[in-house]
Amino acid sequence: MTEGTDGEFTAFVNERGDALLRVAYALAGSQHAAEDLLQNALAKAYTRWPRIRGDAEPYVRRILYHDQVSGWRRLARRREVPVAVLPERPGERDSGHDSELRMLLRDALRTLPPRQRAVLTLRYLEDLSVEQTAAILGCRAGTVASQASRALARLRELVPSFDPASSPEVKR
Amino acid sequence: MNRPAEDALRAAVHDLAEEARPAGGLALAALARGRRRRARRRVAAAGAAVVAVAVVLVPLVLLRPDRPVQPARPTPSPTPSTMLLPTPGADWSTRPLALPGGWVVTGGVTRGTGYVLDRTRSRYVRAGGYAEVWPAPTGTVTAVRDEQRPGQLGLADAATGKLRWQRVPGVIHHLQWSPDGRRLAVTVLRGQMKRLGVLEVGGRYREYLVDPVRYLCTDYCAFTWTRDGREVTLPLTDSFVPRSESSRHPRWGVQFFSADDGRPTRFVKIPGDPAGPWSWSPDGNRVVVQGQREPLLVDAVTGTVLGPLPVAEVAWVGDDRLLYRRPGGYRDVVLADPAGHELQRLPLPRELAERTVSIAPK
Repeated sequence: MTEGTDGEFTAFVNERGDALLRVAYALAGSQHAAEDLLQNALAKAYTRWPRIRGDAEPYVRRILYHDQVSGWRRLARRREVPVAVLPERPGERDSGHDSELRMLLRDALRTLPPRQRAVLTLRYLEDLSVEQTAAILGCRAGTVASQASRALARLRELVPSFDPASSPEVKR
Repeated sequence: MNRPAEDALRAAVHDLAEEARPAGGLALAALARGRRRRARRRVAAAGAAVVAVAVVLVPLVLLRPDRPVQPARPTPSPTPSTMLLPTPGADWSTRPLALPGGWVVTGGVTRGTGYVLDRTRSRYVRAGGYAEVWPAPTGTVTAVRDEQRPGQLGLADAATGKLRWQRVPGVIHHLQWSPDGRRLAVTVLRGQMKRLGVLEVGGRYREYLVDPVRYLCTDYCAFTWTRDGREVTLPLTDSFVPRSESSRHPRWGVQFFSADDGRPTRFVKIPGDPAGPWSWSPDGNRVVVQGQREPLLVDAVTGTVLGPLPVAEVAWVGDDRLLYRRPGGYRDVVLADPAGHELQRLPLPRELAERTVSIAPK
């Protein structure tokens, strides 16, 4: 690769690296794992840079999601997410209820399996539809819906104050 | 999902993402990693001819069937009419709930709540408050997990009324009782490695590291018991077949390990995942597994697929009788022959119908 290519790649990472890191963090749940996940995706992008240079960010995002949800290494990593401190049950609703609920949900999100967390990240961080989410993850829309449903059920289990009245459904 | 809940979840996902701290030197680190990848690819390309031969030959060697792959489905027999047994009465919990084939329900639990058979009193007791509850197939001990006690498993003994907590370091991915109710096979994930933990009801816990490369398992990986309770099995992923996240990963066989010392004992080319000890026929000749696409009846010696079945979670109650929950009529327990012909059907009590039901020999 030429110095020009390296320069383009470096400029891309400098410009979009933090945004991509946020996605990686939502997927991986910790700083170290997020940086590892993102560096790996960027390294793959680098080796294919001449072909993807105009479309680098979607490519890197796809790699992030694929790497996170596939393979033994990721399975092991997901199970490494510590659950030693579980969200405590919130008390009566008060003015701090919303922020407390968010905090509990944030902690609970870390305990979800990678596929479920990937689905929620695509749906609620990237605001993608079920079909778009399925396209990125390379699976069927039904799989996305079932993973989202399981994730919501698990979140409700971990955070009883989350959506206590409604049954889970996935909006398209 | 209602709007406030959706908003809260959206905010929580954003909160989580915002925890990321800017990474200094990200570009340099990615460049260095990318160059290493490029260098490795060049080396790999240099040996491409050799690799190409290997890639063509190895799968053929590994996947070659002993006989042509023509599923030898059992010859259909005349379908006997199904006998519908009466629904157990409202007092069902006052005695062991008998199932067709001479088995009993040992518990019906969902997310730690439900009913467990107390064999000291021959009746069911309520379970609740735990994250998970695993009734044993026999004996008086029930295993429990409490969200407030991570890294521990509780063993509640109905005979003594005592609950003892055992340390099981790591994340418990799966747990299953041995058929004699004396041991638990625990699939533990710790330090990015899969481990087989064996916990005895007496409290002794041993753990064995399983080589993740030699015994590659991806997707639905758990140690499950064989029927004789001497070994545990792990399904192995077929690494020569492309994998997709939208379907179960392909299997090329089942690896057996000694439950006494974790030593690998044997490998059989069974193309799916056995659910547990009752998946194996009493004579050891057949096994029901979840194949990549459908539940399968498989020759346990050769790995030959004998035919499809309605469900993968079955119990062989005899060499020619299976017990399972009826798909599509989930409330019913069905006694069927290995061809899937229903012989008897028993509706479960309403209190068990929506729960995960455990069964065992009477």
